Amino acid sequence: MDPSKDNRPITTHVLNTADGVPATRMALSLHRLNTHMMIWNLLAVGTTDEEGRCAGLISGENLSLGMYKLRFETGQYWENLGQTCFYPYVECVFSITSLEQHVHLPLLLSRFSYSTYKGS
Amino acid sequence: MTSQRLQHIKDHILAANTCTEMATPPPSPLSTHVLNTGRGVPGAGMALSLHRLDPCTETWNLLISGATNDDGRCPGLITREAFIPGVYKMRFETGQYWKGLGETCFYPYVEIVFTITDPSQKFHVPLLLSRFSYSTYRGS
Repeated sequence: MDPSKDNRPITTHVLNTADGVPATRMALSLHRLNTHMMIWNLLAVGTTDEEGRCAGLISGENLSLGMYKLRFETGQYWENLGQTCFYPYVECVFSITSLEQHVHLPLLLSRFSYSTYKGS
Repeated sequence: MTSQRLQHIKDHILAANTCTEMATPPPSPLSTHVLNTGRGVPGAGMALSLHRLDPCTETWNLLISGATNDDGRCPGLITREAFIPGVYKMRFETGQYWKGLGETCFYPYVEIVFTITDPSQKFHVPLLLSRFSYSTYRGS
């Protein structure tokens, strides 16, 4: 296994597809569902860097099987650029079914559209 | 009591409506279309629900629940009268949908949250979905 990926089992990359640039300084947060209490536990908050990436969301040793949520503050991002956005925020809820996998969750975003996929 | 608050209370009472019960629904100002991009077919029979955020309590009010038809659509989501400015959420039961096809899905559900500032327009909020990806856009 790639040593640099050992400690980063969940990564993301946010791209501003309207302007064709990385989405920098977007606030985001990672949450895990507590299935006993059916509430979301906040694991990490961060902001995307100049490349639209955000390091250190979760370490390999803290990863457990379950349901996770990556929340992106899209409304705030576009507001900082002086624009409105159809989506005040984007929450992507996904399942981790194996501790071996590296999950890369990009967000391709414009003011009126977004897409995401499971990458590696 | 503001008219907005009154509308929220009306929504509680009408929440039992399901979009599949209406035989010939009047045109809804909000529509959706689910496409299964993994198989190149409409996403038929997918359970979904529409919610509006109550700004007073910061909780979601369920407006309607139902399922997509054979064409992946769900007519009659909301009336012009009920379509007031606010923050809405469309929730799609994607995990359940793929399970019905005998497959797993990376996304147990998809929630698309969007802001309506001018409800006189028409809004189309489609979902293009595979087992490992999805996208949406604002159409009309």
